Amino acid sequence: MTPSEAANAADVADARPWTCPFCPLACDHLGVRLGGLGEAPTLTGGVCERASLALRRCAAPFPGAAATPAQVDAQPCDTATAIAAAAQLLAKSRQPLLAGLGTDVAGARALYRLACATGAVCDAAAGDALMHGLRALQDRGQFTTTLAEARTRADVVVFVGGLPGALAPLTALRCGIGDAQVAQRHVVLLGPGADAARQVSELAQLAAPGVTIDSIALSGDLFSSVALLAALVAQRTVRDPPEALRALAQRLRSARYAVLVGTPARLPTHGALIVETLHAVVDQLNRTTRAAALWIGGGNGAATVNQVFTWLSGLPLRSRAGPRGLEHEPVAFGAQRLLDDGAADALLWVSSFDSDVTSGAPPATDLPLVVLGPPALAPTCRRPGSVFISVATPGIDSRGHVFRTDGTVLMPLRALRESGLPTVADVATRILDALNEEQAK
Amino acid sequence: MTRTLLRGGRVIDPANPAAPQQRDLAVRDGRIVEPIAGEQHDEVVDASGCVVMAGGIDLHTHIGGGKVNLARMLMAQDHRAGAEPIALPANRLQLASCGTCTPGTLATGYRYVEMGYTAAFEPAMVASNARHAHMEMGDVPVLDHGAYVMLGNDELFLQMLAEGGRDNRNFAQLRDYTGWTINAAKAMGVKVVNPGGISAFKFNQRKLDVNEPHAHWQVTPRQVVHTLARALHELGVPHPLHIHGSNLGVAGNIASTLETIDALEGLPAHLTHVQFHAYGSEGVKKFSSAALQLAEAVNAHPEISIDVGQIMFGQTVTASGDTMRQHANSGLANPRKWVGGDIEAVAGCGVVPFRYREQSYVNALQWAIGLEIFLLVRNPWQVVLTTDHPNGGPFTSYPHLIRLLMDRSFREEQLARIHPDVAANCALRSIARELTLEEIAIMTRAAPARLLGLHDRGRLSTGAAADIAVYRDAPNREAMFTTPEFVFKDGVCVARAGKITALPVGGTHFVEPGYDSAIEKRLRRHWQDHAAINFDHVAIGNDELCTCCNGGRLLPTACFAPAA
Repeated sequence: MTPSEAANAADVADARPWTCPFCPLACDHLGVRLGGLGEAPTLTGGVCERASLALRRCAAPFPGAAATPAQVDAQPCDTATAIAAAAQLLAKSRQPLLAGLGTDVAGARALYRLACATGAVCDAAAGDALMHGLRALQDRGQFTTTLAEARTRADVVVFVGGLPGALAPLTALRCGIGDAQVAQRHVVLLGPGADAARQVSELAQLAAPGVTIDSIALSGDLFSSVALLAALVAQRTVRDPPEALRALAQRLRSARYAVLVGTPARLPTHGALIVETLHAVVDQLNRTTRAAALWIGGGNGAATVNQVFTWLSGLPLRSRAGPRGLEHEPVAFGAQRLLDDGAADALLWVSSFDSDVTSGAPPATDLPLVVLGPPALAPTCRRPGSVFISVATPGIDSRGHVFRTDGTVLMPLRALRESGLPTVADVATRILDALNEEQAK
Repeated sequence: MTRTLLRGGRVIDPANPAAPQQRDLAVRDGRIVEPIAGEQHDEVVDASGCVVMAGGIDLHTHIGGGKVNLARMLMAQDHRAGAEPIALPANRLQLASCGTCTPGTLATGYRYVEMGYTAAFEPAMVASNARHAHMEMGDVPVLDHGAYVMLGNDELFLQMLAEGGRDNRNFAQLRDYTGWTINAAKAMGVKVVNPGGISAFKFNQRKLDVNEPHAHWQVTPRQVVHTLARALHELGVPHPLHIHGSNLGVAGNIASTLETIDALEGLPAHLTHVQFHAYGSEGVKKFSSAALQLAEAVNAHPEISIDVGQIMFGQTVTASGDTMRQHANSGLANPRKWVGGDIEAVAGCGVVPFRYREQSYVNALQWAIGLEIFLLVRNPWQVVLTTDHPNGGPFTSYPHLIRLLMDRSFREEQLARIHPDVAANCALRSIARELTLEEIAIMTRAAPARLLGLHDRGRLSTGAAADIAVYRDAPNREAMFTTPEFVFKDGVCVARAGKITALPVGGTHFVEPGYDSAIEKRLRRHWQDHAAINFDHVAIGNDELCTCCNGGRLLPTACFAPAA
């Protein structure tokens, strides 16, 4: 596309649906306006702070003034040079760590091959949150629901720990609080914290007729409140139960279809216990009525890469195809833990969605480092012993697929523009090819 | 142009009964061709002493999609050897992939190919999960694949059925919606699971008999089954309605199964994993074999086909769309954990680990019932060999199952190990039939190809795809069918003596029935009001399918002329 064609094509709202790749909800009801050269795309048809913020970081570079495609040891270079350097860096590593994993299905497919070839331990940026859900699933199972079920069926919705907030701003909307599919809906914020008034007001503004809203403070911490709720729902003897929790338990028991919405990233260290206890509430309710859990998380590619690695290998993230074989360690293979213990000797960091120099950056480390990220992340990887390679953001620069938060819908992403950036899949495949050549020498 | 000659084998090709068994097979560019005397070949395979069959086709195996991946996550202990890691593959062609009852997609492909299978069909694709299912199948190496999309528990279908009343006034709309769904999901057929029951469970109904109304929509499973079977027939979809009937696993459910056949009123259909649907309620334990009743019904209805869903003793996991029945069975989970889900107002899922035990009366009887069905149905073209992988047992147990069916003395040895009351009283004891190689070839290749409308697979006639398995003829049929000497996929040697030699990407089978696109107006409105995805994002295009399936070939299967 020539600059003049690009200028003509830009600044028109695109009528085709667009899937936002920037949060676990993967909304496709909002639109996007591309903007002129050098401008960022803007959100149309609705408001989402997170999407707007992320889009602002996606300003299209002026043609000819493109950001450095890559750098090695802080020196700008072409992508091929950086790929060769990345392969050499990985070839020297005895235990690489493949982390961040902010990518789509195609990227995950290619990274799995690279992980097998290098024996890398693999973990997502939000690995701890991912493991809360996964460990509860491995130990006891779960009963979950999806956004369309919540929208059309839920007569009681409990946001455990409050709304997910900036992590997934439109969660209440996507759960149907704003539409009239269910005539009477009761919405509960359980332990929203200091932000309670703002959250209640957010819900009140959104709520369709027939929606009632309640906010319940915690009794102790979140775990003790949820444990107490589980006991009350199971009608076990509880001495002097807090009235609000007793009433909530009663309401859940008499609901036709209750949905408990939780946010693993907000849970404390032993969050798997809270997840498990909420699942016990759901199990108990399902003996006499209907209920299900809905977890909001797995954005930035975490759930997507976890799904892909699981189907390819049989094992989820925090696994490696190491010298002893294929192994999975949901605790010991945490990326930060390995870095803290000095148990890895190279880091390959992938963040193709999050271009924020703080949250999208690799963890602080002196290890040899390769970063695959949008051009905006180049400053996070500017030191000797590092390689940076610019990659496309799926849903902005390239097409792709990511899983929605409920894990059952794989959303298609489309390219908004022709940026010429390679995808994570392209780069990972080329690194692997170079690595194979390196090792064949 | 590559030319291969398979010389001196005994060709078992039931789809081509006129051809002599002792003949050479010539392959050129992935197809079977007429051998030409004196022609030069790039490779001549000595097949003397071998049995040559078309590549195996598994028409019902849960190999890809949401619930399969949940099963993998749930069954983490299946994916390690005690405390030890799983050894990496010695073969450099293969990537690390593990699991027995829920293997990774890579391991799934490797294990199927090592057994001589060249195609597998995922039977329970949730419409809203279709992209995911195709992605997983695309990551099963070598095998061609396809999937049946689930209908009959989506609220829209049930609502439309209710609107049409008893006389189905809006049948054309339901037919067009079915056609649209098949196209949108790039499906090979349609499966109905516990007709209406998955939806009913969301309305807190715990049981739904064939003639019982759904608590909310007031339609019956009988109406659902009949309407879908008729819709597929009129759309010209080669594979008839794939039915997982009502009351799976319930003692006495033979009544539901026979009522389901009755509901079809002569329309063709495929009843799947019938072993789980052939239970009587006789005897002290109120649980008995109804294999004979089922076999009599199948024998009396040539338009009906079945697959068995044989159980195998040992650890497995059941992965099903039948949330209602899986919730009911979750108390039997071993180990004690399970996964359930309500999905997008269209479907559900339930994943329950099971350990089938020889000394359990119920499990032993289930085992006997499956074998009885295999041996009591007269026409092998109506029967497909399955374990409903992984629900009855992993697909890797097929060679063992084949031996049980072909070798009465081996069967009796196994009978002696199971619960004594079952061993002493089951009808299986007195069944002398031993299936022949021809019958096994029908049940594992020729019949599934015919039931799916695949005219160039499951056979070795001139012009057919060169998907070929060459087995060394041996009295121990389990050993014979475990490790073929050679396996060819589209003419390429993909395994030799149990070792993978090439990993081409498999193709995707699907059908494209015509329908009146006016239905999309209503669908768009419904999606707007009830769904959680933009209507324009629902359908998968050919280019996208190609991406999902790793660039494998697209293999649209022709529909027959609509019957209407």
